[in-house]
Amino acid sequence: MSDWSKVTRPIPVPNEWTKPFWDAAKRGIVELQRCQSCGHFQHPPYATCTRCVATDLRFEPVRGIGTIYAYTIMYHTGDKRFAAAVPYASIIVELDDAPGALMAGNLLDAEYTEAKVGRRVEIVFEKLNDDVTLPQFRLASAE
Amino acid sequence: MWENRCKVAVSGVGFSKVSRTADVPLAVHALTAVKEAVADSGLAMSDIDGLATYPELPATGHAEVDGISVVSVNCMMAMLKLPDLAWHIQVGTVNIGGAVQQAVNALLAGMCNYAVVWRAMHNPRGTYQNLPSGMAAGATQFTAPYGFGGPGQGMAVAYTRWLERHNQNREKMATLAVTQRRHTQHNPHAYFYGTELSREDYLASRMVAYPFCLFDCDIPVQGAVAIVLTTADRACDLKPTPAYLAGYGQRLHFEVAGRIGSLADYMEGGRSSAKLTWERSGFGPKDVDVAQIYDGFSASVIYGLESYGFCGEGEALDFIQDGRIELDGELPLNTFGGSLGTGRIHGLWHIIEGALQASGRAGSRQVKDANVSFVGASAPIVTGTTFIFVREPY
Repeated sequence: MSDWSKVTRPIPVPNEWTKPFWDAAKRGIVELQRCQSCGHFQHPPYATCTRCVATDLRFEPVRGIGTIYAYTIMYHTGDKRFAAAVPYASIIVELDDAPGALMAGNLLDAEYTEAKVGRRVEIVFEKLNDDVTLPQFRLASAE
Repeated sequence: MWENRCKVAVSGVGFSKVSRTADVPLAVHALTAVKEAVADSGLAMSDIDGLATYPELPATGHAEVDGISVVSVNCMMAMLKLPDLAWHIQVGTVNIGGAVQQAVNALLAGMCNYAVVWRAMHNPRGTYQNLPSGMAAGATQFTAPYGFGGPGQGMAVAYTRWLERHNQNREKMATLAVTQRRHTQHNPHAYFYGTELSREDYLASRMVAYPFCLFDCDIPVQGAVAIVLTTADRACDLKPTPAYLAGYGQRLHFEVAGRIGSLADYMEGGRSSAKLTWERSGFGPKDVDVAQIYDGFSASVIYGLESYGFCGEGEALDFIQDGRIELDGELPLNTFGGSLGTGRIHGLWHIIEGALQASGRAGSRQVKDANVSFVGASAPIVTGTTFIFVREPY
């Protein structure tokens, strides 16, 4: 299992588009940008709705359960900050409530070989410091 | 069909030495390639009146220094001191294929008569993807904290999706790597000229970012390549057999920065660019005699073959088997070795090979009776460019 204890993760820097996402993560909630005109959820946040180009967008909570859409297993140790965790699974997740809104994460608390397209995962929160909490994923408990 | 088909041609090509380290500044590589391309066409340097490039360093965290890590139009003009420069551009998007297309447009509009396009690529010292900051700002805030560093991982996630969605096996990719390396042995300019690769080597090689092993990734190099483009009537007066441009296409597919992994985005970018190219040239995938498809990472060839219409979705790894992409196969592919064979010079070398094959100038790797020569000059996602060159104008 990947040892994340010696990994120094880059700290996300929220901006005016993304701050509500990070504020919600700090409270242990996933909030994604939603178009108030067509109802489409999107991630990462953008200036307009990526489907209908409406400009009235708000962050709304979604359930932290979804499916692995894609993944890679990292073996290369070029990035020294992550070298201690190699090999590790970086995954892309499509949440049930937000089809098409792809969220990146790591697969925690599981062997990297458990990463497969279609596998069910759920959100866990990893506190990086007093200001930033990172949404992460682990295999979903039985539904 | 495009009314301007076969009105512009490639008439000269040039190459610098390709090496892992920079023994001379990149500007010298670019100058060497440009001089060679102009000499190949039989022109004098003073005839050149158009310049275009895409000055970009794909490595992360390294300073862009003109003449060292990029070679701008300004830098080239300072070296060439062209007496009659009438037109120039350096594009900021669409990759090097966009610079070639702009030169085509300028020639068709009568803005210049002989244009040179070059791509110069630097290999910085130290780690290629040098991620120095402890902070992840902008688009990286949603990817870097999870260990998504360079473009390789971004490509790799789409590839796992493709493999598992289509029940495919990455070991089949060995055929592409081994065949292209064999083609490389006919290209003395390539980095891996003289170095063979077996199926066993591929299967035993170390993983970089699964499903990519070492031989799925092009090796970073220092070097430059260049082409001379001119109008068809002028090209006929020059020594080399012209490679006529039958059509081109490009695509800016909408993408939010930081969103990665979506296979649909790769397919859409390639499909749109190729559609324009097929419509403008009047040809279709079945008419193509030889193809060059961008292969910075091996999986780009899959997305290219499928989105351009050479085979159906999920079929590309089977399509490349059984000798189909050999020099005497049904669709000879990346006949110069591709980026996997030459080293990372991006798509201009694919365009050069497409032109050389169309003009019958590809030497021992020449595909017999090649007329319709297809090029996909960048990964089909976002800013794909595609071209068709022909021997016989129509």
